[in-house]
Amino acid sequence: MADKEELIGKLSTCVVEMEDEEVVDVANEYIGDGYPAYDGIMEGLVDGMNKASDLYDAEEYFVTDVLLCSDAMYNGLDVLRPHLDNADAGGNQKKVVIGVVEGDTHDIGKNLVKIMLETAGFDVRDLGRDVPLDDFVTTAKEIDADIIALSTLMTTTMAGMGTVVQKLKEAGIRESTKVIVGGSPISQKFANEIGADGYSANAVGAVKLAQELVGIEPDAER
Amino acid sequence: MHKDDQMTPVERLNGFLTGGDMDRILAMPLICSMSGKAAGMTHKQKRATGASEAQCQIANYERFGNDLLIAEYGLHTIGKELGSVMGDPEDAVPAIMKHVLDDLDDIDKLDFSRALPENSPDYQKHLECVKILVDKMGQEVPTGVLITGPFTAVSSIYPVEKLLRATRRNPEAIHKLLRACTDVLKELHKGYIEAGAMILFCEPIATGSIINPKEYLEFVKPYTIELMDNIHANNGMVCYHICGDTKHIIPEMVKTGPDMISIDNRVPLALAKEYIQPYMPLVGNVDPVETMILGTPEDVDKAVKECVKVGYDCEHGYILCTGCDLNGAVPLENLDALMAAVRTYGKCPVTPANWGE
Repeated sequence: MADKEELIGKLSTCVVEMEDEEVVDVANEYIGDGYPAYDGIMEGLVDGMNKASDLYDAEEYFVTDVLLCSDAMYNGLDVLRPHLDNADAGGNQKKVVIGVVEGDTHDIGKNLVKIMLETAGFDVRDLGRDVPLDDFVTTAKEIDADIIALSTLMTTTMAGMGTVVQKLKEAGIRESTKVIVGGSPISQKFANEIGADGYSANAVGAVKLAQELVGIEPDAER
Repeated sequence: MHKDDQMTPVERLNGFLTGGDMDRILAMPLICSMSGKAAGMTHKQKRATGASEAQCQIANYERFGNDLLIAEYGLHTIGKELGSVMGDPEDAVPAIMKHVLDDLDDIDKLDFSRALPENSPDYQKHLECVKILVDKMGQEVPTGVLITGPFTAVSSIYPVEKLLRATRRNPEAIHKLLRACTDVLKELHKGYIEAGAMILFCEPIATGSIINPKEYLEFVKPYTIELMDNIHANNGMVCYHICGDTKHIIPEMVKTGPDMISIDNRVPLALAKEYIQPYMPLVGNVDPVETMILGTPEDVDKAVKECVKVGYDCEHGYILCTGCDLNGAVPLENLDALMAAVRTYGKCPVTPANWGE
């Protein structure tokens, strides 16, 4: 029976090295040996994804790399998640509603943010792209979301972000729902103008921002 | 000729290309997808026919006196002609709602001939626009066609995230798609050049914000070189533009052989100047959002001044441009301010005295 730490190390390496098939074998071996799924996820898969994020931040990994790493991570999660104890399976995770605003279909950036938020332990409801503005608010209400994360690549759709902030006020949940915004045409200046709670220039920053806004200590140096 | 200029754009461009006289530096703000605004048309109305598209370009030129008219073949048209399903928004560029190719095993089912000039209604529409512009305005102002590069063309057929994954998992299939798109683009370029247009070669998906330099070298550069060679074999002229952060690939972009390179505001103009000026003119890079949309006319004036201060002494010349295509949220007064600033700071002969130094 292989050593637990060794297998956890392998899970992490599989993610960093985009081994989306080998990770399944390693995860099966890990669970078959009776080791706890939670550790495999947090210290193995999530650890690997965090390393991938660091490489992305350092401009050594690019979008393709992060996508392929996330494929490996999600394949590993598919094996391990069903074996989580109820206590570990979450329930007190912070919730994020994320989507690309109505009129825009560019979603790579949003998908990167989603991957990294999930890796960081957020419960993410992804509404996809070209999302009607009302849907952000109704979903946030429905799941009692902590954060709404809005993305757009286009200048024609930017104004929709301000509209979502407005709609949250009208729905009476503005105070309890933080709004973060991102995308190529977005800036801190724009975020301030529309009354958003934060802006991030990239996916890695988005996670730190989200953590700060919900009162989680941003991840220390890894 | 615009009331505030002393030369027509054609005279000015001629001076630029031959080292002759110019009254001011060239200014080619990317008045493309929002060109309906100055003519009182939405994007949908503008894109309805070649005539409506031409009308918008002429209306913009009459107000601003910019140095290039632009027909918008666009980034998605090849995918559209092959069967990608497009949206139909009233006042925005239509997006791809569903790509025609979902599985790389189905590549052979695609019919690329549908995007060729003789079969493509959209090609014909924009050709009509080019012909009207060249016919009516060609003596006075040149015309360009904004048209997708090969990598971006593939992304109009096959979704980007899948495309990116496939560059590692199934590169042969991506090369097959690139090959087919390149062959189509050669014919499209030829047709537009023969009608009198220059090529505005736009390749946003190859941006450093998405792909790394190695991926550019393998999947973008070789096909781009072919297309640049083809443009020149047909006596055409081409400006190469990749949106976003291209810091790490500008030297490679230069090597593909365009006639000029247009830079987005994500790249400091001074850095781009270092890479580009030994070889060809530099084009760029007023921020299309922070400055042109969110800024005041004073902000625009300042931004133009900063660009001219950097670009005016480029070895192979400099053309003022916006970092990328402008959007309908741009206040037209900001375009007025941009052109006024070019006429002030870019007045020839350009010296630091133009900006009070």
